[in-house]
Amino acid sequence: MPSDQFREKLHREFLDFFDNAEQNRRWNPLRDIPWERVNPETPESLALCAETFLGVEGFLPDYISGGLQVFRNASVAQRWFVANWGYEELKHSMALQLYLIRSGKRTEEQMADYQAELMKERWEPPFSTARRITIYGVFQEMATFVIYLRQEKAAKKVGDEALAAVYRMNARDEVAHARFYELVVRAYLEEDRDNTIADIAYVAANFKMPGVGIVPDYDARIAVMRDAGQIDRDLFLQKIYLPTLRRLGVERSEITRVISEQRKAERAARRSAEMMSRAEPAE
Amino acid sequence: MQRSELLEKFKAAASEIAEKEFDDLQEDSVIVDLGLDSLVVLEVIGELEQAFDVRIPDDKLVGIQTVSQLLDIIEEQL
Repeated sequence: MPSDQFREKLHREFLDFFDNAEQNRRWNPLRDIPWERVNPETPESLALCAETFLGVEGFLPDYISGGLQVFRNASVAQRWFVANWGYEELKHSMALQLYLIRSGKRTEEQMADYQAELMKERWEPPFSTARRITIYGVFQEMATFVIYLRQEKAAKKVGDEALAAVYRMNARDEVAHARFYELVVRAYLEEDRDNTIADIAYVAANFKMPGVGIVPDYDARIAVMRDAGQIDRDLFLQKIYLPTLRRLGVERSEITRVISEQRKAERAARRSAEMMSRAEPAE
Repeated sequence: MQRSELLEKFKAAASEIAEKEFDDLQEDSVIVDLGLDSLVVLEVIGELEQAFDVRIPDDKLVGIQTVSQLLDIIEEQL
């Protein structure tokens, strides 16, 4: 159970985060995107990427309900953060959907069908503790930030200022979320370094982006991004994983040592279970 | 240390971590074709760093495509 000191620290951090968001980061997808500068000639591959991100962002109801459940008893600051996070992420979905419709890339009917299709699946939190979900949040928000920056660049290249602005605004929120999660992980490290390191190792070893397996045709959509050079094998390592460890003040060797121990323990448990099942007499 | 010895150490660490044999692994093998994702490769590197008591700088870990490139980086630190 986190200490009072931990909760108080997070409370102060959340107030700073919120104040900064209110002062510097509030935006309105209806008014703050230069919609008149949409480029109708933007390639379909970029529209498909926007639709994919809309799909990932579309599971917002599950992210919020899952987050609130996990953080319910963690701290007031973490509960409040989830509520604020949900409001900010909602705008990402709105902006992406508005782009797809206003650019003529998709019709309102297609968007309604897509949203209905999305809700046939459900996102489940990949981890069950507040600390692991917070660590997951750092990696996931940073990954989204980096990918949105690349999309912004691609949109600028084809002269689509509206799409570029959508990604710029979304990316600014994503990095702010990642930085808040980082502050929380730092507080967890101060509270209990060994177990937090173990959780970082566990989350890194089991990390998957939230759309995997639930956004329709996810693999084919990712292949389009890969072919366009939007994502590559080193992206996670170079832009997300290693920089995050550095900012957290965690050595790579600390993580790999724990991953190795976790793997050996899992293997030993598996062998033991296999031996047990072989030892049981057949009925 | 002989290069062949380094390759054998890499094979042994990769087999242990990925739980599969790499009999056909050569220096020019492309790492992604071996079915090793970037975090598994990091773990293999961690094992080799520990075995040889070296520390590979993080910026050298990016862009490694082949086993040969990885062995070059480890060799530089020995």
